[in-house]
Amino acid sequence: MPCSCCIIPNDVLTKLSQDKKLSAVLRKQLVDTVQVSHELRELRTQTAKLTNVVAARAAGLVTLAAAPSVTVYDCKHTQTLPGTPVPKPKTSSDGSVKRTFNQTTKVAKFYQQVFNRNSIDDHGMTMMSSVHFGAKYNNAMWNGSQMIYGDGDGSIFVDFTRGNDVIGHELTHGVTQHSLQLAYSGDAGGLNESISDCFGAMFRQWEAKQDVKKADWLIGRDIMGPGAKKRGFTCLRDMADPAAKHCLAPQPTKYSQVTPGMDPHYASGPPNLAFYTACATLGGYSWAKIGQVWYHSLTGFGPMPNMTMKTFAARTRQGAHTLYPGDAAVFAAVDTGWKKVGL
Amino acid sequence: MDRLKIERVGGFAGFGGPHLKSRGEVALSDLSPADQKTVEQLFADPKKVAPAHPGQADAFSYRITRGAQTIEVPEHAVPSTIRNSVKDVLE
Ligand SMILES: [Zn+2]
Repeated sequence: MPCSCCIIPNDVLTKLSQDKKLSAVLRKQLVDTVQVSHELRELRTQTAKLTNVVAARAAGLVTLAAAPSVTVYDCKHTQTLPGTPVPKPKTSSDGSVKRTFNQTTKVAKFYQQVFNRNSIDDHGMTMMSSVHFGAKYNNAMWNGSQMIYGDGDGSIFVDFTRGNDVIGHELTHGVTQHSLQLAYSGDAGGLNESISDCFGAMFRQWEAKQDVKKADWLIGRDIMGPGAKKRGFTCLRDMADPAAKHCLAPQPTKYSQVTPGMDPHYASGPPNLAFYTACATLGGYSWAKIGQVWYHSLTGFGPMPNMTMKTFAARTRQGAHTLYPGDAAVFAAVDTGWKKVGL
Repeated sequence: MDRLKIERVGGFAGFGGPHLKSRGEVALSDLSPADQKTVEQLFADPKKVAPAHPGQADAFSYRITRGAQTIEVPEHAVPSTIRNSVKDVLE
Protein backbone atom coordinates (compact mmCIF):
# COMPACT_ATOMS: atom_id res chain seq x y z
CA MET A 1 0.00 0.00 0.00
CA PRO A 2 1.68 3.24 -1.10
CA CYS A 3 1.89 6.09 1.32
CA SER A 4 -0.60 8.75 0.22
CA CYS A 5 0.27 11.29 2.84
CA CYS A 6 0.38 14.73 1.31
CA ILE A 7 2.20 16.56 4.06
CA ILE A 8 5.60 15.81 2.51
CA PRO A 9 6.13 18.10 -0.49
CA ASN A 10 6.24 16.43 -3.87
CA ASP A 11 9.81 17.43 -4.70
CA VAL A 12 11.04 15.77 -1.48
CA LEU A 13 9.05 12.63 -2.31
CA THR A 14 10.51 12.62 -5.82
CA LYS A 15 14.07 13.00 -4.48
CA LEU A 16 13.52 10.17 -1.99
CA SER A 17 12.11 7.92 -4.73
CA GLN A 18 15.44 8.30 -6.52
CA ASP A 19 17.55 7.51 -3.41
CA LYS A 20 19.33 4.20 -4.15
CA LYS A 21 19.88 3.67 -0.40
CA LEU A 22 16.14 2.95 -0.07
CA SER A 23 14.61 -0.37 -1.09
CA ALA A 24 13.13 -0.74 -4.60
CA VAL A 25 9.67 -1.42 -3.09
CA LEU A 26 9.71 1.74 -1.01
CA ARG A 27 10.96 3.80 -3.99
CA LYS A 28 8.06 2.51 -6.10
CA GLN A 29 5.61 3.45 -3.31
CA LEU A 30 7.05 6.97 -3.19
CA VAL A 31 6.53 7.37 -6.98
CA ASP A 32 2.90 6.24 -6.58
CA THR A 33 2.41 8.73 -3.74
CA VAL A 34 3.60 11.59 -5.95
CA GLN A 35 1.12 10.50 -8.63
CA VAL A 36 -1.82 10.20 -6.17
CA SER A 37 -0.93 13.52 -4.60
CA HIS A 38 -1.01 15.15 -8.05
CA GLU A 39 -4.45 13.67 -8.86
CA LEU A 40 -5.85 14.80 -5.51
CA ARG A 41 -4.63 18.33 -6.13
CA GLU A 42 -6.32 18.31 -9.55
CA LEU A 43 -9.54 17.05 -7.99
CA ARG A 44 -9.46 19.83 -5.39
CA THR A 45 -8.99 22.42 -8.14
CA GLN A 46 -11.96 21.04 -10.06
CA THR A 47 -14.12 20.96 -6.91
CA ALA A 48 -13.26 24.58 -6.19
CA LYS A 49 -14.27 25.53 -9.74
CA LEU A 50 -17.59 23.67 -9.37
CA THR A 51 -18.27 25.37 -6.03
CA ASN A 52 -17.67 28.77 -7.64
CA VAL A 53 -20.05 27.99 -10.49
CA VAL A 54 -22.75 26.77 -8.07
CA ALA A 55 -22.35 29.88 -5.90
CA ALA A 56 -22.61 32.17 -8.90
CA ARG A 57 -25.72 30.45 -10.23
CA ALA A 58 -27.44 29.55 -6.92
CA ALA A 59 -30.23 32.12 -7.31
CA GLY A 60 -31.33 30.52 -10.55
CA LEU A 61 -31.11 26.93 -9.35
CA VAL A 62 -34.75 26.78 -8.26
CA THR A 63 -35.77 26.80 -11.93
CA LEU A 64 -34.12 23.39 -12.16
CA ALA A 65 -36.51 22.01 -9.51
CA ALA A 66 -38.68 19.17 -10.73
CA ALA A 67 -41.94 20.26 -12.30
CA PRO A 68 -45.02 19.57 -10.17
CA SER A 69 -47.09 16.47 -10.90
CA VAL A 70 -50.24 17.11 -12.92
CA THR A 71 -53.14 14.71 -12.41
CA VAL A 72 -56.56 14.51 -14.08
CA TYR A 73 -59.69 12.73 -12.84
CA ASP A 74 -62.92 11.98 -14.68
CA CYS A 75 -66.19 12.66 -12.81
CA LYS A 76 -68.14 11.01 -15.64
CA HIS A 77 -70.93 13.61 -15.36
CA THR A 78 -71.49 13.06 -11.64
CA GLN A 79 -70.79 15.56 -8.86
CA THR A 80 -68.69 13.10 -6.89
CA LEU A 81 -65.11 14.24 -6.36
CA PRO A 82 -62.44 13.62 -7.40
CA GLY A 83 -63.81 10.95 -9.78
CA THR A 84 -61.81 8.21 -11.51
CA PRO A 85 -58.08 8.85 -12.01
CA VAL A 86 -57.03 8.93 -15.68
CA PRO A 87 -53.82 6.90 -15.97
CA LYS A 88 -52.25 8.60 -19.02
CA PRO A 89 -53.95 12.00 -19.40
CA LYS A 90 -51.27 13.31 -21.78
CA THR A 91 -52.26 10.85 -24.49
CA SER A 92 -55.94 10.47 -23.60
CA SER A 93 -58.44 10.27 -26.45
CA ASP A 94 -60.78 12.40 -24.31
CA GLY A 95 -60.25 16.01 -25.42
CA SER A 96 -61.21 17.50 -22.03
CA VAL A 97 -58.72 15.27 -20.21
CA LYS A 98 -55.89 15.92 -22.67
CA ARG A 99 -56.48 19.70 -22.78
CA THR A 100 -56.66 19.94 -19.02
CA PHE A 101 -53.41 18.00 -18.63
CA ASN A 102 -51.54 19.97 -21.29
CA GLN A 103 -52.75 23.41 -20.30
CA THR A 104 -52.26 22.78 -16.57
CA THR A 105 -48.70 21.64 -17.33
CA LYS A 106 -48.19 24.88 -19.25
CA VAL A 107 -49.56 26.98 -16.39
CA ALA A 108 -46.97 25.28 -14.14
CA LYS A 109 -44.29 26.22 -16.68
CA PHE A 110 -45.62 29.79 -16.90
CA TYR A 111 -45.42 30.29 -13.13
CA GLN A 112 -41.99 28.63 -13.02
CA GLN A 113 -40.37 30.47 -15.92
CA VAL A 114 -42.00 33.89 -15.55
CA PHE A 115 -42.39 34.18 -11.76
CA ASN A 116 -39.93 31.57 -10.50
CA ARG A 117 -42.78 29.86 -8.62
CA ASN A 118 -42.86 26.11 -8.07
CA SER A 119 -46.55 25.22 -8.49
CA ILE A 120 -49.61 26.56 -6.66
CA ASP A 121 -48.00 26.64 -3.20
CA ASP A 122 -44.42 27.34 -4.40
CA HIS A 123 -43.48 23.97 -2.90
CA GLY A 124 -44.25 21.71 -5.84
CA MET A 125 -47.84 20.87 -4.87
CA THR A 126 -49.55 18.41 -7.25
CA MET A 127 -51.91 20.17 -9.66
CA MET A 128 -55.07 18.13 -9.55
CA SER A 129 -58.11 18.56 -11.83
CA SER A 130 -61.45 16.83 -12.28
CA VAL A 131 -63.22 17.11 -15.63
CA HIS A 132 -66.76 16.22 -16.82
CA PHE A 133 -68.10 17.42 -13.45
CA GLY A 134 -71.89 17.25 -13.28
CA ALA A 135 -74.33 17.19 -16.19
CA LYS A 136 -74.05 20.12 -18.64
CA TYR A 137 -72.49 22.02 -15.76
CA ASN A 138 -71.88 25.69 -16.64
CA ASN A 139 -68.95 26.29 -14.34
CA ALA A 140 -65.28 25.87 -13.50
CA MET A 141 -63.99 26.31 -9.96
CA TRP A 142 -61.21 25.91 -7.45
CA ASN A 143 -62.44 24.04 -4.36
CA GLY A 144 -59.50 24.85 -2.10
CA SER A 145 -57.40 21.88 -3.19
CA GLN A 146 -58.17 21.13 -6.84
CA MET A 147 -59.64 22.44 -10.10
CA ILE A 148 -63.10 21.34 -11.26
CA TYR A 149 -64.43 21.72 -14.82
CA GLY A 150 -67.92 21.28 -16.19
CA ASP A 151 -68.77 20.43 -19.81
CA GLY A 152 -71.05 23.44 -20.30
CA ASP A 153 -74.60 23.11 -21.62
CA GLY A 154 -73.47 23.38 -25.24
CA SER A 155 -75.63 26.49 -25.77
CA ILE A 156 -74.54 29.32 -23.48
CA PHE A 157 -71.16 27.72 -22.80
CA VAL A 158 -69.07 24.92 -24.26
CA ASP A 159 -66.59 22.79 -22.28
CA PHE A 160 -64.86 25.04 -19.74
CA THR A 161 -61.51 23.29 -20.36
CA ARG A 162 -61.49 24.95 -23.81
CA GLY A 163 -60.42 28.24 -22.24
CA ASN A 164 -56.72 28.37 -21.35
CA ASP A 165 -57.51 31.63 -19.54
CA VAL A 166 -60.12 29.68 -17.53
CA ILE A 167 -57.48 27.13 -16.51
CA GLY A 168 -55.00 29.90 -15.65
CA HIS A 169 -57.75 31.69 -13.69
CA GLU A 170 -58.66 28.65 -11.57
CA LEU A 171 -55.05 27.73 -10.78
CA THR A 172 -54.37 31.31 -9.76
CA HIS A 173 -57.11 31.05 -7.11
CA GLY A 174 -54.83 28.38 -5.62
CA VAL A 175 -51.84 30.73 -5.78
CA THR A 176 -53.88 33.45 -4.01
CA GLN A 177 -54.94 30.91 -1.37
CA HIS A 178 -51.26 30.19 -0.72
CA SER A 179 -50.16 33.85 -0.62
CA LEU A 180 -52.47 36.82 0.13
CA GLN A 181 -55.30 34.46 1.22
CA LEU A 182 -57.90 36.98 0.08
CA ALA A 183 -61.47 36.60 1.31
CA TYR A 184 -64.29 36.12 -1.19
CA SER A 185 -66.45 39.15 -0.53
CA GLY A 186 -66.14 42.92 -0.52
CA ASP A 187 -62.97 44.56 -1.85
CA ALA A 188 -60.90 41.45 -1.12
CA GLY A 189 -63.32 39.28 -3.11
CA GLY A 190 -63.12 41.61 -6.10
CA LEU A 191 -59.32 41.61 -5.86
CA ASN A 192 -59.31 37.81 -5.57
CA GLU A 193 -61.31 37.50 -8.80
CA SER A 194 -59.31 40.20 -10.56
CA ILE A 195 -55.98 38.56 -9.74
CA SER A 196 -57.25 35.32 -11.29
CA ASP A 197 -58.39 37.19 -14.42
CA CYS A 198 -55.07 39.08 -14.65
CA PHE A 199 -52.91 35.94 -14.42
CA GLY A 200 -55.34 33.95 -16.58
CA ALA A 201 -55.08 36.64 -19.27
CA MET A 202 -51.28 36.87 -18.89
CA PHE A 203 -50.99 33.10 -19.25
CA ARG A 204 -53.08 33.21 -22.43
CA GLN A 205 -50.92 36.00 -23.85
CA TRP A 206 -47.69 34.25 -22.82
CA GLU A 207 -48.76 31.05 -24.57
CA ALA A 208 -49.56 33.00 -27.74
CA LYS A 209 -46.45 35.24 -27.32
CA GLN A 210 -48.72 38.28 -27.68
CA ASP A 211 -47.77 41.78 -26.58
CA VAL A 212 -50.34 44.03 -24.89
CA LYS A 213 -51.44 45.55 -28.20
CA LYS A 214 -52.01 42.23 -29.96
CA ALA A 215 -53.86 40.64 -27.03
CA ASP A 216 -57.68 40.79 -27.00
CA TRP A 217 -57.94 41.04 -23.17
CA LEU A 218 -61.15 38.99 -23.23
CA ILE A 219 -61.96 36.49 -20.49
CA GLY A 220 -63.90 33.38 -21.49
CA ARG A 221 -63.82 33.98 -25.25
CA ASP A 222 -63.13 30.31 -26.00
CA ILE A 223 -65.95 28.93 -23.84
CA MET A 224 -68.79 30.97 -25.33
CA GLY A 225 -71.47 28.69 -26.76
CA PRO A 226 -73.46 29.18 -29.97
CA GLY A 227 -76.49 30.57 -28.12
CA ALA A 228 -74.43 33.29 -26.45
CA LYS A 229 -72.54 34.17 -29.63
CA LYS A 230 -75.82 34.46 -31.54
CA ARG A 231 -76.87 37.13 -29.05
CA GLY A 232 -73.66 39.08 -29.73
CA PHE A 233 -71.78 38.07 -26.57
CA THR A 234 -68.15 37.41 -27.49
CA CYS A 235 -66.80 36.92 -23.97
CA LEU A 236 -67.68 36.88 -20.30
CA ARG A 237 -65.53 39.84 -19.35
CA ASP A 238 -63.39 42.36 -21.23
CA MET A 239 -60.49 43.64 -19.13
CA ALA A 240 -59.94 46.55 -21.53
CA ASP A 241 -63.61 47.57 -21.56
CA PRO A 242 -65.38 45.91 -18.60
CA ALA A 243 -68.81 47.49 -19.24
CA ALA A 244 -68.90 46.68 -22.98
CA LYS A 245 -72.05 45.39 -24.68
CA HIS A 246 -70.29 42.27 -25.96
CA CYS A 247 -69.68 41.09 -22.36
CA LEU A 248 -72.05 38.43 -21.04
CA ALA A 249 -71.12 39.61 -17.54
CA PRO A 250 -70.49 43.37 -17.87
CA GLN A 251 -68.68 44.97 -14.93
CA PRO A 252 -68.32 48.36 -13.27
CA THR A 253 -65.36 50.46 -14.41
CA LYS A 254 -64.98 52.74 -11.37
CA TYR A 255 -64.14 51.80 -7.81
CA SER A 256 -66.99 54.05 -6.63
CA GLN A 257 -69.45 51.68 -8.37
CA VAL A 258 -68.36 48.69 -6.29
CA THR A 259 -70.95 47.92 -3.59
CA PRO A 260 -70.42 45.83 -0.43
CA GLY A 261 -72.57 42.79 -1.35
CA MET A 262 -71.48 42.69 -5.00
CA ASP A 263 -70.54 39.32 -6.56
CA PRO A 264 -66.71 39.32 -6.78
CA HIS A 265 -66.99 38.54 -10.53
CA TYR A 266 -68.45 42.05 -10.94
CA ALA A 267 -66.39 43.85 -8.28
CA SER A 268 -63.28 42.73 -10.19
CA GLY A 269 -64.06 45.18 -13.02
CA PRO A 270 -62.10 48.21 -11.70
CA PRO A 271 -58.90 46.32 -10.74
CA ASN A 272 -59.08 44.44 -14.08
CA LEU A 273 -59.27 47.76 -15.93
CA ALA A 274 -56.42 49.17 -13.81
CA PHE A 275 -54.21 46.22 -14.72
CA TYR A 276 -55.08 46.46 -18.42
CA THR A 277 -54.49 50.23 -18.45
CA ALA A 278 -51.10 49.86 -16.74
CA CYS A 279 -50.07 47.19 -19.28
CA ALA A 280 -51.34 49.20 -22.26
CA THR A 281 -49.62 52.36 -21.01
CA LEU A 282 -46.24 50.65 -20.62
CA GLY A 283 -46.48 48.43 -23.72
CA GLY A 284 -44.52 45.24 -24.44
CA TYR A 285 -45.42 41.96 -22.78
CA SER A 286 -47.89 42.12 -19.88
CA TRP A 287 -45.93 39.59 -17.82
CA ALA A 288 -42.55 41.32 -18.28
CA LYS A 289 -42.94 44.21 -15.82
CA ILE A 290 -46.54 45.04 -14.81
CA GLY A 291 -47.17 41.31 -14.26
CA GLN A 292 -44.06 41.17 -12.06
CA VAL A 293 -45.34 44.12 -10.00
CA TRP A 294 -48.72 42.39 -9.53
CA TYR A 295 -47.03 39.07 -8.64
CA HIS A 296 -44.76 40.84 -6.12
CA SER A 297 -47.83 42.50 -4.54
CA LEU A 298 -49.63 39.14 -4.38
CA THR A 299 -46.84 36.96 -3.00
CA GLY A 300 -44.26 39.21 -1.40
CA PHE A 301 -45.84 40.14 1.95
CA GLY A 302 -47.74 37.24 3.54
CA PRO A 303 -51.51 36.91 4.03
CA MET A 304 -53.91 39.86 4.18
CA PRO A 305 -57.42 38.35 3.84
CA ASN A 306 -59.36 41.61 4.08
CA MET A 307 -57.13 43.72 1.87
CA THR A 308 -58.86 46.70 0.29
CA MET A 309 -58.40 47.67 -3.34
CA LYS A 310 -56.84 50.93 -2.14
CA THR A 311 -54.18 49.02 -0.18
CA PHE A 312 -53.47 46.74 -3.14
CA ALA A 313 -53.16 49.77 -5.43
CA ALA A 314 -50.70 51.40 -3.00
CA ARG A 315 -48.69 48.17 -2.84
CA THR A 316 -48.38 47.96 -6.62
CA ARG A 317 -47.31 51.61 -6.81
CA GLN A 318 -44.64 50.90 -4.18
CA GLY A 319 -43.74 47.64 -5.95
CA ALA A 320 -43.13 49.46 -9.22
CA HIS A 321 -40.52 51.61 -7.41
CA THR A 322 -38.97 48.64 -5.58
CA LEU A 323 -38.69 46.33 -8.59
CA TYR A 324 -37.83 48.96 -11.21
CA PRO A 325 -36.08 51.82 -9.38
CA GLY A 326 -34.44 53.06 -12.56
CA ASP A 327 -37.53 52.77 -14.75
CA ALA A 328 -39.99 55.56 -13.91
CA ALA A 329 -42.25 54.49 -16.78
CA VAL A 330 -43.34 51.40 -14.79
CA PHE A 331 -44.53 53.47 -11.83
CA ALA A 332 -46.19 55.97 -14.17
CA ALA A 333 -48.07 53.15 -15.95
CA VAL A 334 -49.26 51.58 -12.67
CA ASP A 335 -50.32 55.00 -11.41
CA THR A 336 -52.22 55.73 -14.63
CA GLY A 337 -54.01 52.38 -14.30
CA TRP A 338 -55.32 52.98 -10.80
CA LYS A 339 -56.20 56.63 -11.46
CA LYS A 340 -58.35 55.49 -14.39
CA VAL A 341 -60.62 53.58 -11.98
CA GLY A 342 -60.55 56.22 -9.24
CA LEU A 343 -57.94 54.72 -6.95
CA MET B 1 -95.57 27.96 1.41
CA ASP B 2 -95.11 24.69 -0.48
CA ARG B 3 -93.27 26.26 -3.46
CA LEU B 4 -89.57 26.93 -3.27
CA LYS B 5 -88.22 29.46 -5.75
CA ILE B 6 -84.59 28.84 -6.59
CA GLU B 7 -81.97 31.11 -8.13
CA ARG B 8 -78.42 29.93 -8.71
CA VAL B 9 -75.83 32.74 -8.60
CA GLY B 10 -72.08 33.21 -8.89
CA GLY B 11 -69.66 30.76 -10.49
CA PHE B 12 -66.81 31.64 -12.85
CA ALA B 13 -69.34 33.28 -15.19
CA GLY B 14 -71.06 35.35 -12.48
CA PHE B 15 -74.62 34.05 -12.79
CA GLY B 16 -77.20 36.49 -11.47
CA GLY B 17 -75.90 39.44 -13.50
CA PRO B 18 -77.91 41.33 -16.14
CA HIS B 19 -77.82 38.67 -18.88
CA LEU B 20 -77.06 35.39 -17.21
CA LYS B 21 -79.71 33.78 -15.02
CA SER B 22 -80.28 30.37 -13.53
CA ARG B 23 -83.70 29.75 -12.01
CA GLY B 24 -85.94 26.91 -10.92
CA GLU B 25 -88.82 25.93 -8.71
CA VAL B 26 -89.66 22.88 -6.61
CA ALA B 27 -92.57 21.87 -4.45
CA LEU B 28 -91.44 21.17 -0.91
CA SER B 29 -93.85 18.23 -0.79
CA ASP B 30 -92.07 16.65 -3.79
CA LEU B 31 -88.80 16.45 -1.86
CA SER B 32 -87.77 13.36 0.09
CA PRO B 33 -88.27 13.57 3.89
CA ALA B 34 -84.49 13.91 4.29
CA ASP B 35 -84.31 16.81 1.80
CA GLN B 36 -87.34 18.47 3.42
CA LYS B 37 -85.52 18.29 6.74
CA THR B 38 -82.39 19.82 5.17
CA VAL B 39 -84.48 22.69 3.80
CA GLU B 40 -86.09 23.26 7.21
CA GLN B 41 -82.64 23.42 8.80
CA LEU B 42 -81.33 25.81 6.14
CA PHE B 43 -84.23 28.22 6.72
CA ALA B 44 -83.96 27.90 10.50
CA ASP B 45 -80.33 29.03 10.43
CA PRO B 46 -78.82 29.64 6.97
CA LYS B 47 -75.50 30.66 8.55
CA LYS B 48 -75.15 27.27 10.23
CA VAL B 49 -74.05 25.42 7.06
CA ALA B 50 -70.65 23.77 7.04
CA PRO B 51 -68.06 26.32 5.89
CA ALA B 52 -66.52 25.93 2.44
CA HIS B 53 -62.91 24.80 2.18
CA PRO B 54 -60.71 27.87 2.78
CA GLY B 55 -59.59 29.42 -0.47
CA GLN B 56 -62.52 28.05 -2.46
CA ALA B 57 -63.53 30.25 -5.40
CA ASP B 58 -66.02 30.35 -8.27
CA ALA B 59 -68.50 27.98 -6.59
CA PHE B 60 -72.24 28.57 -7.04
CA SER B 61 -74.59 29.80 -4.32
CA TYR B 62 -78.34 29.25 -4.22
CA ARG B 63 -80.96 31.84 -3.27
CA ILE B 64 -83.95 29.91 -2.03
CA THR B 65 -87.23 31.72 -1.44
CA ARG B 66 -90.04 30.27 0.67
CA GLY B 67 -92.95 32.62 1.16
CA ALA B 68 -91.49 35.97 2.18
CA GLN B 69 -88.12 34.58 3.32
CA THR B 70 -85.07 34.28 1.05
CA ILE B 71 -81.84 32.62 2.12
CA GLU B 72 -78.54 32.34 0.23
CA VAL B 73 -76.51 29.17 0.83
CA PRO B 74 -73.42 27.61 -0.77
CA GLU B 75 -73.90 24.81 -3.31
CA HIS B 76 -72.38 22.12 -1.08
CA ALA B 77 -75.21 22.65 1.44
CA VAL B 78 -78.01 22.31 -1.11
CA PRO B 79 -79.79 18.96 -1.80
CA SER B 80 -79.26 17.69 -5.34
CA THR B 81 -83.01 17.84 -6.17
CA ILE B 82 -82.87 21.59 -5.62
CA ARG B 83 -79.54 21.96 -7.46
CA ASN B 84 -80.96 20.10 -10.45
CA SER B 85 -84.15 22.18 -10.56
CA VAL B 86 -82.50 25.22 -12.12
CA LYS B 87 -82.22 26.06 -15.81
CA ASP B 88 -79.58 28.43 -17.16
CA VAL B 89 -80.90 31.13 -19.50
CA LEU B 90 -79.78 34.27 -21.32
CA GLU B 91 -81.75 37.46 -20.81
ZN1 LIG C 1 -62.61 33.03 -10.06
